[in-house]
Formats: sequence, structure tokens, C-alpha cells
Amino acid sequence: MSTPEVVKLLPRNATALRKTQDSTRAPRLVAGNSVATRLESGVGNCFPGLECDLRNLERRFFPFLEVDLGDTSIDVISVDLVAARSAASRGEIEASALAVYRTLARDLAARRQWGIIRVKGTFGPLGSLDVVISALSGTSAGANRLPPDAWTAVRLLSEGTDVEIELQQGGRRGRRLTLRGKRSRYLDDNGSLAEMFMPGELTQSLCSPWTHDFRDCGCFYWASNHPDVALPPLPSTAPPDPAWGRAAPWERAERSLEAPPPPATAMAPTPVELRHYDINLKWQTLNFVLEGRERLAPYAQQQFVGRPFASDGELERNLRYAAGVELAVIQEYLAAAYSLKPAEALVGVLRDTVRAVHAEIMRITLGEMRHLRAANDVLASLLGRPAFIPALNVASKIPGLTPGLTQPVSPRPLTPDVLEEFIAVEAPSTSVDGLYSRILATLQARGTPADTEAIRTIMAEGEDHYRTFRFIKEWLAPHAPAAYLRSVAPKRPPDDNAAHDQLQRKYGALLSLLYEGYLQGLPRGGPDINDARAAMLGRGGLEGSVQAVADQGFLIAFDPIADPRFSPINPP
Amino acid sequence: MIQKIGIVPGDPTAPVFHRFRSESAEHLLIVPFSRVFDLSSELARGFDAGDPSVLALAHALAAPTRDEVPLEDVVVPSPQSISLNVSVACNLACSYCYASGGAFNGAQPSAMSWSTAQRAIDQLLSGADHARPVTIAFMGGEPFVNRSLIHRAVAYADAAAKSREIDVRFSVTTNGTLLRPDDIALLRAHRFAVTVSVDGGATLHDAQRPLHGRAAGGSFAALRRAVEPLLRDPGLAQIVARATVTRRDLNVASRVAAILKIGFQEVGVSPLRVDPRGGQALVGADWGRYLDALKAAARVELTYAERHHRLRLTNLAVALRQIHRGASAPYPCGAGGGYFSVASDGRWFACHRAIGSADFDLGDGEGLDAEKRRRFLKSRHVHAQSACRRCWARYLCSGACHQEASARSDSGCGFIRGWLEFCLATYCDVLNGCPELLHAVPDADEGAVR
Repeated sequence: MSTPEVVKLLPRNATALRKTQDSTRAPRLVAGNSVATRLESGVGNCFPGLECDLRNLERRFFPFLEVDLGDTSIDVISVDLVAARSAASRGEIEASALAVYRTLARDLAARRQWGIIRVKGTFGPLGSLDVVISALSGTSAGANRLPPDAWTAVRLLSEGTDVEIELQQGGRRGRRLTLRGKRSRYLDDNGSLAEMFMPGELTQSLCSPWTHDFRDCGCFYWASNHPDVALPPLPSTAPPDPAWGRAAPWERAERSLEAPPPPATAMAPTPVELRHYDINLKWQTLNFVLEGRERLAPYAQQQFVGRPFASDGELERNLRYAAGVELAVIQEYLAAAYSLKPAEALVGVLRDTVRAVHAEIMRITLGEMRHLRAANDVLASLLGRPAFIPALNVASKIPGLTPGLTQPVSPRPLTPDVLEEFIAVEAPSTSVDGLYSRILATLQARGTPADTEAIRTIMAEGEDHYRTFRFIKEWLAPHAPAAYLRSVAPKRPPDDNAAHDQLQRKYGALLSLLYEGYLQGLPRGGPDINDARAAMLGRGGLEGSVQAVADQGFLIAFDPIADPRFSPINPP
Repeated sequence: MIQKIGIVPGDPTAPVFHRFRSESAEHLLIVPFSRVFDLSSELARGFDAGDPSVLALAHALAAPTRDEVPLEDVVVPSPQSISLNVSVACNLACSYCYASGGAFNGAQPSAMSWSTAQRAIDQLLSGADHARPVTIAFMGGEPFVNRSLIHRAVAYADAAAKSREIDVRFSVTTNGTLLRPDDIALLRAHRFAVTVSVDGGATLHDAQRPLHGRAAGGSFAALRRAVEPLLRDPGLAQIVARATVTRRDLNVASRVAAILKIGFQEVGVSPLRVDPRGGQALVGADWGRYLDALKAAARVELTYAERHHRLRLTNLAVALRQIHRGASAPYPCGAGGGYFSVASDGRWFACHRAIGSADFDLGDGEGLDAEKRRRFLKSRHVHAQSACRRCWARYLCSGACHQEASARSDSGCGFIRGWLEFCLATYCDVLNGCPELLHAVPDADEGAVR
């Protein structure tokens, strides 16, 4: 049986799994963490962080060591000698280094302490430094500045770069040893936490639920686990009263539901909310919120409906088209974002609004870039390298508002009509989402879990885009389009416009870098993908060229590319 | 406790795989050990075209793993289940009854005595594998005609099993009409699998299952009245309705709906293959119509299950569960292997439907006839059935009920294959769309004697 045949045959039931895989892998339901528990879904401050304490990542910054980080000390607390021995047997570390690890392990077992007293390496923006840990002062300023403390120092070390550490046993006069290694990778190629981390390790330093603090942390500070407002739970019989559709304070003191609770107001929310002490006693009466509404009964997931594609060929054609659609909507979103007046030229609420709208559309645009990468990763997984050819042809048409129909790609300013169209394009279960739902259904039947999850993520983010565009509509509604748009009808640049030409060249160069990066995959294609990222940002990058065209009052537009790698792709 | 006593070689020309499609993909069933795979379209074409390298792959997949017992083996397990034919009479007069009301055409003239029941229970418990559950079933006739024996046997078996640290379970097949509060209390208090024979709504049920003689009222009303408290509060009992489908009315969905309306949570249907009086058993083209009707009922239930995560049609639930586990056996049931039926005179028969049949008479309270049992098991192995040994469904159907083998027909077998094909495709769709269903259906191995 050759390997390629095995991968085309997917075992489904218990005896098929027993024959082809580990006998313990019979299909069964496994309760797991929802996607909302991923690191990137967490509330993002990291001192210590709310869902996890990101400082714990640095506890394993150096290969085979686990350390405790103080302000001016780094104590070694364990050595993974098994992994070190294994690395030595593969020639990845030298025998002398293994001897050091052995010494550390033996001494730690005998309760003899070791600390890292000096770290030499590349400290991100601070450059190459040789840092004596005990000399760190708590501040970091001025020329030739050092990191303020031991954790920040380690945090600044660039992943994969050479690091030298000097270790000392016990007190000041203890024996000294030196180790060299690469700064560890905290994530694997799939973006998952590296295997060296033990379950619970990232949360071990968090305190218990801060119920008392709920009361003080409003303004969507804890948005993922502590909403300020939510739609009240619906009574069991369908209510005719529209008041059940108005958001109410989630922490409202009056918990009865005989009548719709009073809606939340920006003016005086406090009197209706539970007090600090009440929350400590009544936190368990706060309802779960799903899809914006508080739930009292078990949640029934909506049935997923997607018609799978009939063949692998059809799946591939649609994935290529989906990647093309991502590129096409990026063009439309860039045109819209740069049709806005520069925020600095505005005043008051409108200035803040336009700044937020621009930032949000650019965030969505970057999200579409991630989708492009994900669609290519799935294709590479399905086809395998070297058969895989990157999907970077720009779609000539994108799925329209009516399922089954398409419309030409059309860069336009962010008028209310265009905004409505963006909302419709990103709406769940229609348009682009409809395309991915069929891809998902096909992958669920015959793809890998990783591929399926990648498409799920794209769809989930599409829903976020949809909500964001609806917010943008709400923010812009009080203002006349002429107040926030450079022009309600900007023209495309003339053929001989130098800024436009430069933009096209940079766009082509960016696609070429992506092509090379995707073609090689990780890790070989990593430098190209990093270069592509760099080519997008800053005044010298695509961003600067887009700005230059917009500053001349023209619409951001991209010409069709003749290069067959990026030439227009039609819907399948 | 499982002894290999011989082999019955399979037919080397028999198919080792079967190709099928679900709504979303191409699939492969490896016939031995019922292994289910998804196929790429390329590999599917290879199988369909009979590509030699692909056929070699199928043969490699068909070989047993280290933990699997070869399907040609004839093995003799310790008896783990018996049914006690406690009653020789019934208050109903169903025309299609295989047991002629419990008397088996005179082969079982008198009801079981306590000493016979006690000896059978002792023999079961002393020979059983203590690490696995044992099941004692009560059959008839209508078992509750002899309710005192049931109550006494349950109490005795319960205590005897406890003293030997054996997990004992019970089972009863009843028409439900005679249940009294003390019977219901008994069923609630023990791990009983209760199968209630109910054929549909009032009109259909009363026509197929009339009360004996000139008794007033219909059996449906009596059943409903008597069973209602048990359905409302089943305690430890698991209750399933079982309907016999005759050729007079093949509409499965309406029967199932009528039975669910009574309050049953699960319903199984069974087509009548052998009719002692003739006229009602399915023949010829009936089987195609029955298959369509059963699939239609299954689709209704799948729609319900998507919303409620519960399968109520036992035929579908058990089939999906068995496919999920990769059930694969050369015998359709435990008859003569792990299961015996004890007649009222104390003889041990291979099956409750074979009381009085010399070929199935394998011993008595003094012990089983090992040589006769070996011959029975060899003769009933699916490899020994000329009509079955080359069928792709041979290890899923396993030749079907021994008692109905004489009524086997191309159209009847076509129904079984059609139903299995439907269940295989449904399994793949369920695994993709609603896998929790496969964990919600009861385990077919637990409790019931079928």
C-alpha cells in the first residue's frame, strides 16, 4: 500500500479506524474549548491578561529550561533533560551543552539553585545587547537604553535568534556555566501553542474570577465575558412587545422578567445595576449571553446547511475563486477607506468618527489578507506540494447580493449605497459567506480538521466584518456624505498618472512575493511572506502609494494584471 | 470463556468491498469487519473500474487486525442470556403468532414451574462469564399470564446474581394489556428492557391483535390504559414498542406516528415474513414497497432527530450504532451461542421461536449437548448459507433470523440490502452533520433479547 493511497482513504467508523490508525481513535464526541477560548480571542492586555497570563510564555524562552522571572532575577526551576538528550542524539546540541543541562538537572534535584545572570542576544528594537539581569533598573529611557526588567528583556528577544545565557549556582560566588541556543518558538507551524507548554501553564498565575471588579469595569472593557448590555431573555411564549428587542443592562439589579426590563441608557446606568457587594453574592444569576441575547434555556445551535461540491476539482476551482474574491474585495475596501477625508482635516466628533471608520475598514482589509492566506493553505493541504500552485488571481466578479449572481469588481467611494452593499456582501449565509459554506460542507465530508477549522475561521470573521460595517453605517448616519468623503464621485486616475502607475507596480511586486512565499510554504517561504508584509506597510510600501493617489483626489483602483499568475479569474 | 471449535471457510470469490454514496461523498464498505471509509473521487473510480491495485488495497483492508476474531471461526461463548417461556397462553389472538399463543402447536402444553425456572437461572449464573452482564428474558404466550413466576424469578435471580457479583438484567416481551401496578413496580425497580407489541393505531392494532374470544372492547384501549403509567414513569426500565407490519398495510410512518402518540419514546418495526395461517406475510413486490415505506419513515425521524438529537425509530438507531461500531458477525443473533430459550419443560432450545423444534433442541437443565451445539453453530454460520455467502451484506445481515431462513427470497434479501445501503449512506451523512446522534442511540447489545 503506497502512502498516497492511504491519504485518499478516510476511515470513518470504529473498525476502519482500528485498521488504519491507532485503535484508541474511534470516533467519539470530545468536549473541547470553543473558538472563543483561543489566545487571539482573549482580552488583549497582558499584565497579566484576563483569559491567560502571557508572561508565562517567557518561562520557556530558552530551550529545555523553565524559569521564574522576577524584576531583576531569572531562576531556573526545571530542565527537560529527556528532550535535551533527544536533541543531543540528533546532533542538534553539542555534548558540552548536554553536560550543562545534566549539571543543572542534578543540582536542581538536590535543591541547589541556579539563576540566569546575563542574557546576550537580539532584543527587538533595542538591538544586540549583553544584559546583566541584576543591573536592570525598572526604567528604560534614552540612548543605549536597557530593558526595564527581566521579563521585558526576555520578551524583547526575537524568536529564533541566537541567545547566550550565563548561569550561576547559588549566591554571588557560585559556579558559572554558559549555554547557547535559539530563542524558543512559542507557537508551532499551525499557530497552536508549542507542545512544551503544559495544560494550565498559561493560566496558572491568574487570580480567581474578579466578580467584584465587574461592577467597575464598564464601557465594554470585558466585552467577551462581561457585556455591559445585552438583549433580555425572551419569555417562553413569543412576545408581541418590541421592548424585548431593546438592550438592557446585563447586571441589572431587578432580575424579574415579568415585563421587559428598562432599556440601558448612556445617561444613568448605575442606579439600575447590582452593587459591588450584590455581585459577589449574585454573580450566578447573571445570564449567559449568546448572539447578543441572554439565554435561560439550553442553546440550540442553528443547523448548518451547505451543499458540498461534487468533486475535488470543483472544490479546488471554488477555493481558487474564493481567494480571488478576497483579493477583489480588498481592492474595493481600499478604495472606500481612502475615499474618506483625512481625519486630521476634520474637527470634533466627525474627526473621531472618520478616524475610526478608516481604521475599521483597514482592519477588515487585513482580515481579508488572512483569509487569502487561509484559502491558499487549504489548497496546499488538499493538493500537496509540489502540485500546489498559489491562488492569487484576482476575481473579475464577486458574488452578488442575489445568491447565484455575480457583479463586477468596482472600486467606489464609501457612500451610503456602497456601505449597504458591503454589509450585504459580508452578511452571513449569503454572498461570500455562501461560497465558503459550500467549501466548508465539502471539507467537513473529506477535508482535514485543520482545513475545516481554517474555513470556519474565515466564516466567523466574515460575520465580524458584517457587524463592523453595520456599526460604521450607524456612526456615519448623522453626517452628510460630502462632510466625510473627499468627493462623492471621485474619478479614476488618468492613464499617465505616475502615482497610479507606482501603485500598480507595487501591487504586482507584492503579489509576486506572496506567490513565492505561498509556493514554498513554511518555513522556507517565511522570508517572502515577511517581505510581503513589509511591502504593504509604511510610506515606502503599498500604503504610501495608496495614500499618494488618494491625496491627488483620485479613486484607488487596480488595473487587471496580464501576468497569468495574477490575471483575472472568473467565477467557476 | 470463548472457545473456538472450528472454522467455516468463506467463499474466496465473495466480494470484499461494497461501494456506496452519501449526499456528500463517495464511500467504501470493506465487507469483513464492516469498515467504512470516505474515498477521493479518483480512488472511487478505481474501485468502480476494478483497478487491480485498488482491489489489492481492499483485500489488505479486509484482513483482521490483531484484536479481531477471524469471521470464519466458529466460537462457542458461555451462555449469557436465556429466555424463560413462562406462559403457554395469551389473552390476544394475533393471527400471525409464531408461538400459537404460547403452546407452540402443542409442543409446550403446560406453563413453566418454579423449579424449572430456578434450575435454568442457576445454570445460567453458574456458567456465565461474570465479567459481562447476563440477561434473563420472559417470553410466552403473554408472560404476565404467569406473573407470579416472573416476580419470583426476578427476586431470585437478583439475589443470586448479587451474591456472585454478577450484573443481571431482565427483558420481557409483552402485549402490555395485563400489566398491573405490582408488575409496573417490578419493571421500574429493575433494569428491564420492556418490548411492548403494538402494531399501530387503534383500528389497525385491534384488527391485527384482537382480544381472545368474545372479550369486550379492543386490545388497543386495554394496552393503552395498562401501559400509560409505565410510560409516564419508567423508572429503571427501557421501553420500546415493536410493530409487526403485514402486507395489508405497509405504511410504516403512519404506524410509527400512531405509536409515538401513545407516549412511547422508541418504536421498532418488523415485517412479517412467515405467517402460519398465510396471507399476511410480505411477498414479491411487497418488499420494494416496504423498503420505500421504511426509508420514508426513517427520513421523517431524521428530520425530528436533527432538532431533538434523539432517534425514535429503533431500526434506524440500532443500524447506525452498529455501523458506527463496525459490527460484523457471521451469526444474526446469539441463538445457540450466547443465548438460549428454555421451554416450560426445561429443554434448552437455541431460540424462543424454535420451541419444540428438534434441530434447535440443544440440551436441558443437566447441560448442553456440545456436539449438537457445534453442529448447529457450524450449520448456521453465514458461510454455510448458500444464498448468503457471496452477498456483500453477509456480515451485517448475517443471514437474518434462522426461523425465517426458509422464507428467504430474492425480493426479501433485496429489501435488506436496500435498507443497509440506506443506513450506510445515512451513517456517513449523520457523522458529518449531526454526530451526537450516534451517541444518543441506545446500545443494541445492552438489555434486550431480540
